[in-house]
Amino acid sequence: MNLLDMFSLGFTNLWRTRLRTFLTLLGVVIGIAALTSMVSFGTGMQKNVEDTFANNDLFTSMTVTSEEIDLEGMMHDAMEEDTVQKQSIPLNDSLIQVIREIEGVNTVFPEIWFVVKLEIGEETSSTNVNAVPASMGEFKPYNDLFAGKFFDNDSSKEVVIRWETLKRLKIIAEDEDKPYSLSEKDSLDGVCILPVDSILGRKIKVISAVVNAPQIALGGLMNIGADNQPFKENISEYVICGILKKASSFSNDAYKGGIVIPMKTARAIPRTNFTSMWNFFSKKKKKGGYNSLYVRVEEIEDVKFVKKELEQIGVKVFSIGDQLKEIRRVFMIMDAILGAIGTIALIVASLGIINTMIMSILERTREIGVMKAIGGSEWEIRKIFFVEASAIGLVGAIFGLILGWMVSRVANYVVNTSIMPAGEETVILFYFPLWLVLGAIVFSVVVSLAAGLYPASRAARINPVEALRHD
Amino acid sequence: MNDTYDKHILEVSNLCKIYHKGKIEIPAVKDISYKFHNGQIISIVGKSGSGKSTLLNLIGGLDVATSGQILINGKDLIKMSRYELALHRRFLVGMVFQSFNLIHSRNALQNVTLALAFGGVPRKDRKEKAAELLKSVGLEQRLYHKPAELSGGEAQRVAIARALANNPKVLLADELTGNLDSSTSKEIIDLLMNLNKEKNLTILMVTHDIETAERVSDNVIRLKDGMVISD
Ligand SMILES: Nc1ncnc2c1ncn2[C@@H]1O[C@H](COP(=O)(O)OP(=O)(O)OP(=O)(O)O)[C@@H](O)[C@H]1O
Ligand SMILES: [Mg+2]
Repeated sequence: MNLLDMFSLGFTNLWRTRLRTFLTLLGVVIGIAALTSMVSFGTGMQKNVEDTFANNDLFTSMTVTSEEIDLEGMMHDAMEEDTVQKQSIPLNDSLIQVIREIEGVNTVFPEIWFVVKLEIGEETSSTNVNAVPASMGEFKPYNDLFAGKFFDNDSSKEVVIRWETLKRLKIIAEDEDKPYSLSEKDSLDGVCILPVDSILGRKIKVISAVVNAPQIALGGLMNIGADNQPFKENISEYVICGILKKASSFSNDAYKGGIVIPMKTARAIPRTNFTSMWNFFSKKKKKGGYNSLYVRVEEIEDVKFVKKELEQIGVKVFSIGDQLKEIRRVFMIMDAILGAIGTIALIVASLGIINTMIMSILERTREIGVMKAIGGSEWEIRKIFFVEASAIGLVGAIFGLILGWMVSRVANYVVNTSIMPAGEETVILFYFPLWLVLGAIVFSVVVSLAAGLYPASRAARINPVEALRHD
Repeated sequence: MNDTYDKHILEVSNLCKIYHKGKIEIPAVKDISYKFHNGQIISIVGKSGSGKSTLLNLIGGLDVATSGQILINGKDLIKMSRYELALHRRFLVGMVFQSFNLIHSRNALQNVTLALAFGGVPRKDRKEKAAELLKSVGLEQRLYHKPAELSGGEAQRVAIARALANNPKVLLADELTGNLDSSTSKEIIDLLMNLNKEKNLTILMVTHDIETAERVSDNVIRLKDGMVISD
């Protein structure tokens, strides 16, 4: 009796009771479908987040600040003036020079953010300016633009604008691969689709607010006339040279800034001296220097060393790469919870297998007695039932994977068509890596074998004399 | 090899089988000793409940004796592991029953090939061998019939073909004509006698029909209350 014999015996038996086999199989199919779609959702989320990080080069990026940003400390400072002020290193150009010398560091530049109003034609929109040196053009996401090119000079009058920012300015940059259809609301708002060629080279006004010092000094007492506002506007005009790709749904648009302006050009834009309310209220005086520095290392592997060096200098370092482990752990817990829910479905299915197998053994008692009488050993009889159980597990797993995959496609479609806003990049919520596919098959077969354990040994222990006694 | 084993294919000594029903002991076979000669036909007769089937099942290795000895080919069945007993049933003995005990979902050919499969006959040779066996019991026209489509006599022939599949030394037949009419019974008994002659097969058969037993057998064992009574 070889394995092929066992398979043909098992298959014949399963086929003989096909309705019952089908129902049992259905239980396994549903269990595996639930398990795999759940876990694939977890892995899909993780992949989305990690891909977004990698696409934005976050794993090789670090942010350097002079002190830890902690709210408690700030409250404290507000009450008792600077009693616990630490000796902090100013983030100035000489520090940048020092950091640049550290091995593994590729680029260092101060992070400069400020709010401006953009204007193209009649349309205006507020956004964050992101000041970036031209040298960043070789890295993600600046090396892979939606259209156009990155500026090549730190004092260039060219800017790169985000696709979404253009949309807020009622311009949809045409994407030949994914045609955008205007909604009714879009048309009412006057949104229009333009080919990229007609957007690149356009002029854009960047309007910044400047404190009108004399007016503040006068305390607004003589607040008459348009020119007597505490803030006045400064208008600079640039040329759009590139468009940044649409961000994925997993990244935070606001964090990045809607417009990228060359470093020196941006620094030359007159603006109020605070970058946020935070700084405005902070009692800590900065004797020159920047709020934070952006450090980019050559390779992910360099992060560890550079971080240590920076900490030795006495500055605080934050890197997402550092958080990666933590993020992975969170996802692992999420996967485990999702997997556990799916496993419950599979366990219920395995009870179905046990039930079916015991029924089948009761019906086939005489047949098992016959097999023993003509020389079947206990182990062979046990194996025949194992083969039946694992066949249910294997076939159930394959169809369960197909069902799970279909369910995930439907869910994906529903999410992308009705939940995500129109024009957003489509997201793939479910991800079926090879380990999940193979793991599901192995798991299903193992669970089925475990379910077949008791029925099979019960079959093997059948007393042939009793089974064959004529009635 | 050894002449005594050749002469006495099977030797039973002081064989006892006690069943337990709760605390009550039911002795089904009591201290039976017997030497079976190679190539003989031996009939076992006795009243219902005298222990005939029990004795046959013990020799066939379907049941395990309480005490005593069953020597076959020089090996003691009582000392065998469960796996060795399976091999004993597979290769040394063939069993036929009153109620045929064919597998209903398999046709005549498939019932025989199953035994061949357990005997380790390669897949490709089984069909031919099974057809040959069925032909030797006169069933070449019924290869693809399911048990339900066979007469009692035909079904018993399939059972005999199956019992002979792995060339056993001893055929154990428990009232194999019990469900058959007298003319069919005679045909089956004739078949057994032929097999006994052609293959020098040792046959041990339980029967109620003392007349036939005395006609065809080399020896008749009479059982009463689990013991052999000498005449
Ligand atoms: N599993 C069992 N448990 C308890 N007692 C049993 C069992 N099997 C058989 N017996 C008893 O053993 C005795 C012998 O039974 P056995 O079946 O060998 O008789 P038999 O001679 O074959 O009878 P029959 O001619 O009716 O087939 C009977 O009294 C029977 O009740
Ligand atoms: Mg009997």
